[in-house]
Amino acid sequence: MYNFDLIRPSTLEEAVKALGQDEAQALGGGQTLIPTLKQRLAMPETLVSLSGIDAIKGVCVHDDGRLSIGGGTTHATVAREAAAHYPGLAALAASIGDPAVRARGTIGGSLANNDPSACYPAAALGSGATIVTNAREIAADDYFQGMFTTALDDGEIITEVRFPVPEAAAYQKFEQPASRFALVGVFVARYADGVRVAVTGASEEGVFRWSEAEAALSSNFAADALKDLSVPADGMIGDLHGTPDYRAHLVKVLTGRAVAAAS
Amino acid sequence: MSKFGISQPIKRVEDVRFLNGTGRYMDDTAPEGALRAYVFRSPVAHGEITTLDVADARAADGVHAVLTAAELDAAGVRNQMDAAVVKNRDGSRGAAPPRPILAIDRVRYVGEPVALIVAETLAQAKDAAELIELDVEDLPVWTTLAPGGEAIHPEAPENLAYDWAFGDAEQTEKVFAGAAHRVSLEIDDNRIIVNSMEPRGCWARWDGARMHVSFSGQGVWGLRDQIARNLGLDKGAVHVTTPDVGGGFGMKGFAYPEYFAVAEAARQTGRPVHWMADRSESMLSDNGGRDLVSVAEAAFDEDYKLIGYRVHTTSNLGAYNSGFGQNIQSELALKVLTGTYDVQDVFFAVKGIYTNTVQVDAYRGAGRPEAIYVLERLMDHAARQFGLSPWALRQKNFIPADAFPYVSASGETYDVGDFGRVLSRAEKEADLDGFKARRADSGAAGKLRGIGLCYYIESILGDPSETTKLEFTDTGKVRLYAGTQSNGQGHETVYAQILNEFTGIPMDAVEFVQGDSDLIAKGGGTGGSRSVTTQGTSIKATSSRLIENFTPFVAEELDAAPEEIDFEDGNFHARGTNKFIGLMDAAQAARDKGRDDLLVCEAETKLPGRSYPNGAHVCEVEIDPETGQTEVVRYTVVDDFGVLMNPTLAEGQVHGGVVQGLGQAIMENAAYDADGQLLTGTFMDYAMPRAIDTPFITFHSEPVPSTANPLGMKGCGEAGTVGAMAAVGNAVQDALWDRGIRRVDMPFTPLRVWSWLNRADMAAE
Ligand SMILES: Cc1cc2nc3c(=O)[nH]c(=O)nc-3n(C[C@H](O)[C@H](O)[C@H](O)COP(=O)(O)OP(=O)(O)OC[C@H]3O[C@@H](n4cnc5c(N)ncnc54)[C@H](O)[C@@H]3O)c2cc1C
Repeated sequence: MYNFDLIRPSTLEEAVKALGQDEAQALGGGQTLIPTLKQRLAMPETLVSLSGIDAIKGVCVHDDGRLSIGGGTTHATVAREAAAHYPGLAALAASIGDPAVRARGTIGGSLANNDPSACYPAAALGSGATIVTNAREIAADDYFQGMFTTALDDGEIITEVRFPVPEAAAYQKFEQPASRFALVGVFVARYADGVRVAVTGASEEGVFRWSEAEAALSSNFAADALKDLSVPADGMIGDLHGTPDYRAHLVKVLTGRAVAAAS
Repeated sequence: MSKFGISQPIKRVEDVRFLNGTGRYMDDTAPEGALRAYVFRSPVAHGEITTLDVADARAADGVHAVLTAAELDAAGVRNQMDAAVVKNRDGSRGAAPPRPILAIDRVRYVGEPVALIVAETLAQAKDAAELIELDVEDLPVWTTLAPGGEAIHPEAPENLAYDWAFGDAEQTEKVFAGAAHRVSLEIDDNRIIVNSMEPRGCWARWDGARMHVSFSGQGVWGLRDQIARNLGLDKGAVHVTTPDVGGGFGMKGFAYPEYFAVAEAARQTGRPVHWMADRSESMLSDNGGRDLVSVAEAAFDEDYKLIGYRVHTTSNLGAYNSGFGQNIQSELALKVLTGTYDVQDVFFAVKGIYTNTVQVDAYRGAGRPEAIYVLERLMDHAARQFGLSPWALRQKNFIPADAFPYVSASGETYDVGDFGRVLSRAEKEADLDGFKARRADSGAAGKLRGIGLCYYIESILGDPSETTKLEFTDTGKVRLYAGTQSNGQGHETVYAQILNEFTGIPMDAVEFVQGDSDLIAKGGGTGGSRSVTTQGTSIKATSSRLIENFTPFVAEELDAAPEEIDFEDGNFHARGTNKFIGLMDAAQAARDKGRDDLLVCEAETKLPGRSYPNGAHVCEVEIDPETGQTEVVRYTVVDDFGVLMNPTLAEGQVHGGVVQGLGQAIMENAAYDADGQLLTGTFMDYAMPRAIDTPFITFHSEPVPSTANPLGMKGCGEAGTVGAMAAVGNAVQDALWDRGIRRVDMPFTPLRVWSWLNRADMAAE
């Protein structure tokens, strides 16, 4: 780790201001950033910890039924407090990492990082969530822009994520044997106006929607509806733990299982 | 039998300090004010060093020294590591290319130490390392497990380090030619990274006359001698110690370059120097394990009696010979080549190959798990090919219980054994009869279920001699000095138990001393499942001598003749009287009377023979054919460890060993790319088994006491690993056989299992 300054503001305004400086970076739960620093792979001059800003923490339900989660809310809190309103999302949060990771890691950090194997991107895209920052609101469909790439500008802070709550949803995660991130993860959500299917872990472009499956499932929400579909292996990630073919195959298997689990 | 003596399931006394955070591991013992060392390692797998400029690093903040090969040379340090070599088939010796402490002109694997930076803080040492200028002109990289490629050492053309063989090739070929049935199978044994919980580390202190090196290891005396030799010191001027060790598994049994460089740095700076590997550094630089491929063949007569056995192995040594690298897959694997089967016509040939990867050496079992893996996969394969029960084929070919002592084809004298009885017990304990129903249940849930058997035998290794010293202290304690080295196995507990058995000395009076070359003149260290057998035997002998020494003194105290003194349950008793004195009280009396000679007792023993733990591992797996995921769902072990010294500890060794074996089988794998870069350099890509990946492991003891040591025991430290790999492998093969899959190799990762299923399905279409 290289030396850096650490500041811990208690308001969003102060944090935004601090992040305006050169070489400043937000620190959420540190579950991605701290290991990166330890390996000397990044050299920020100032870390702006968001953990003191109470305004961006917590889970609440809006009058219109949407679920709102503060950007600084930990996975453990979501697992606990979203369970009654959005069990599919709470279960996803509960499947991330281990208890220590869930106690520190935040939804804002996960979405800002947009690791191609992370779980939350699948839930946000699969729910058609809105990512709210200190500056604007971004629809999930516009937010994810490829591996580790998002619509966020430098210094922009995720303050809240709004999830329309579906009639039914489930996440199926097939764990990479070493990291236990998603080798492939599929989030399926059924809304009154159609089904959304978001896939993480599989594509070189990061999280994506499997639109053929969405169409098929919108008219028949059953694993059977996927029978004649297949996912092309082109553009899938190939590494030690999964070839593109294998990942493409898993997308279909897990989508079917998610539908079964949600119905 | 006393309450604390042999065979009691006593809880480990050392666990109190391990679990409450008061264990003293490497980092806990570093001298105050020690400088921190950081190793600058080769970033490439093979090349000539064209520039190595450390001037800026040396001038950096806080830096006290930067050592490279040039500085070692200038200081007169012998820049070379020692290693054993085997004898080739043609009588010549295996290649012995020099392995430097710090790279000389050339680098041969990623992670090879090039320079040691010593600074006030670790951060400063790391900062300075970034200022080192290293240019390497790349040479072709060889990572293939076969002869060939650009020679990594001129001493080894085609990268062939050795070509070793055992047995009568011609006679064996004759047996094969005349056999009624033959099978053959190529079997991979994947490379693993040991991943001891505590990484390697050391510190050193030079006081102007003596060098003290402390390291996380498995025995202090070997390193003492090597430090003395390389640094040009008398052995008497070198003191080596080892504190608590968080796991060794053979990997910590050998010297590593860092220990020498750190000692020299302490001498040059006049300050203590402390080095501790981080996890990624360990993954790059610790000796790896396994990494071999074998073609195994078996010949049977018309009645399916095994009559010939032949194995050709190719073993990866990494870039240099490590301490025992050449001997593991050859001489040590040979010990149990034919396992528990009665077959005498054998041939075993092994080629050792250099590759541009880190060295490969002993890993829990060291050659014996590898040999048993090959044999037991082949026996299973044979049964399947012949349409026989794998259980029956083994029963038929076992060395019969009345044939002991039995000299195996390898020349090992198996003292005792009753393999048939142990296997029959395993059949019952594993509920073989119920398997059909369990398979049907799994099938109904869409899963493929398989059952796998491995009948293993192990040969305990290492120095058969060991010394014990007992010393009564003036605080009413008894110090027990041992020549072995616990890496977490529970020696403190079991040695105190054995001492209690033979002397009645209370367990809580025992102060355990190990790992100190000044306090203990010699010892064999820990490895090859030797510790409790050799040290326990020595404790027994030392106890007898102690009682003998005390008897005349006690006789005087009790007003009796020495031959009227009996010793039982910790008390001396004058026969025919009601006069008693306990050993601890006798020691106090001896101290009071100035008989200090009685307060220290030492004896060395040599085991008359090796013991051969053996047993049956039965594994059941469930495979999800849609994803290729393999889950170990049931695991039963029936072991013949002879007399158990402490059943709880023995069972713990089995549990840990099984998890290491099934970890290798199901998920662990060290992978390098074609450029020799380690692809599995962190736990993000190297899969370690966790509690959730392991089923409940049931353990049963079916003992046949060994006659090769006075305790009747059989060393059990490695046995769990020896049995586990083939049990899992055979279970996976069983699950997949009906889907047309005829060869399965570790690791059984989801991707690989799915790929086999997918290919088999496509072939069937
Ligand atoms: C052992 C382990 C296992 C894990 N397993 C999983 C898993 O199974 N699935 C999974 O999805 N993830 C997993 N993770 C990652 C974990 O979920 C992280 O918590 C998460 O990816 C990052 O969140 P964080 O709050 O820790 O962010 P940090 O590490 O603090 O920051 C990550 C990045 O996000 C930025 N950032 C942080 N907060 C905000 C914000 N509010 N607004 C804008 N930018 C911000 C930071 O500047 C940084 O660039 C694992 C991590 C570990 C260590």
